[in-house]
Amino acid sequence: MAEESNENKGIISELFQTFFAKHWPVWVGGILLGSLNVFLFMIKSPWGGSGGYNNWGENIYQAIGFLGLENVAATKTSLYGMLNILIILGAFAGALLSKEFALRIPPKGELIKGFIGGGLMAIGATMGIGCTIGGFFSGIPALSGGAIFLTIGLFLGTLVALKYLFWEMERFPGFSMGKSRTFLAASEKTGNWQKYLGWIVIITALTIANIYFGNDNKTMSWFIIIGLIMGLICQRSRFCIVASFRDPFMTGKSSSTTGVIAGLIIGIIGFTAIKIFGIGAGETAFRAREMTWVFPHFWLRAPIGGFIFGLGMTIAGGCAVGALWRFGEGQVKLWAAVLGFLLISPISKKFIVPAFVDLLPHNLMYKNFMPDYIGYTWSVVIVLAILFIWYVFVKWNERTGKFSAY
Amino acid sequence: MDTKINETLDCKGLSCPMPMMKLAKTMKGMKSGEVLEMLGTDPGTKSDIPNWCQKTGNLLLEQIDLEGGVNRFVLQKK
Repeated sequence: MAEESNENKGIISELFQTFFAKHWPVWVGGILLGSLNVFLFMIKSPWGGSGGYNNWGENIYQAIGFLGLENVAATKTSLYGMLNILIILGAFAGALLSKEFALRIPPKGELIKGFIGGGLMAIGATMGIGCTIGGFFSGIPALSGGAIFLTIGLFLGTLVALKYLFWEMERFPGFSMGKSRTFLAASEKTGNWQKYLGWIVIITALTIANIYFGNDNKTMSWFIIIGLIMGLICQRSRFCIVASFRDPFMTGKSSSTTGVIAGLIIGIIGFTAIKIFGIGAGETAFRAREMTWVFPHFWLRAPIGGFIFGLGMTIAGGCAVGALWRFGEGQVKLWAAVLGFLLISPISKKFIVPAFVDLLPHNLMYKNFMPDYIGYTWSVVIVLAILFIWYVFVKWNERTGKFSAY
Repeated sequence: MDTKINETLDCKGLSCPMPMMKLAKTMKGMKSGEVLEMLGTDPGTKSDIPNWCQKTGNLLLEQIDLEGGVNRFVLQKK
């Protein structure tokens, strides 16, 4: 009997090792996140990041009576506010179970960059209506014409900010140096509390999901479960949209890009099916389902917002979701980024965006659903072709190093 | 290991992409055969550095976890 139980233990520990001993390939993360994004859309609406931050910020400002906000949806009732919290918790659990959690406090200059990066992301996301998740990772599969312009903006912003980072490292290397501290880290032999706490976090999150389920809020309970899994996947696979834009021009690494492309392809297949068949439309009109995640930012609002967002995410070292999962892993630079994002977002929405958008003629900010103009088939073919070219470019560049800095 | 360390790069507390940027820059300034010790706390570097070495041909002589969540890497320039 004892032998048998040992064998069983071997099987379970092998299963555990599969998930938590090593990082997963990014493309595995990309495919899983793309699939979960399709599930979110089937249940309600696709993945988005910046709306959740804005909800957090508005709740804080309402509580302290700033900006004169009223009737803000409480975060516990906000699908995307909760989704973001659960992504942090999922990443926290993933880091704990693999004993990678530690509070990593960077030098002061890095904290400042985190906060400014977060603030720029907030301005970019409110200006462009969407971030790397809602506007790009979901916007491209939604076949939104504006998403393509947003992506161009993200890309250019990333390149400019990367130039800045190189310049800063050459001219002011001291900015990213100085006193740093690390707390609560585990090692191979110590810190087994992390594994236990990891399970407690998972069980707590699932219990909360079950409470919503019991209260007949099925949508929220599923958002909680999916958010938790998404956070865990992001942490284990180090799924990073900043890296997908940046790395080919930095070290030449292509794995983040291929991971994001894999997720986009899954998203395109699933989203297109949902839109064509009107899956999950319920009582809403078929047309509303078709236009989901097609935002009124075509065409100029999108690249301007995307550019600012691209600057911010590159300086912060994580986009809307990258900041969340690194937050959960204990990287304090990204705590500053999350804080900057949520504090600036409501301010940008109230003051910066209206002042700016009034200057733009109406024809520079409408909704563009690609299939309205060229049909579903050509829309999908064109988007897949762009992704294919991007894939070939990063792979070729990885081999030749033509465009990478090192 | 008794390898002679030529330079040490401290990236403790830094988040992606700073450790990889600093590592690549420092290695660029070193001579062939010289050895760099890098200390960091970003979990990402644990897979990034081996991949980068494979791509660039630089040698990863050692990769261990020290106490306090610090990862130590010893690299030899190609």
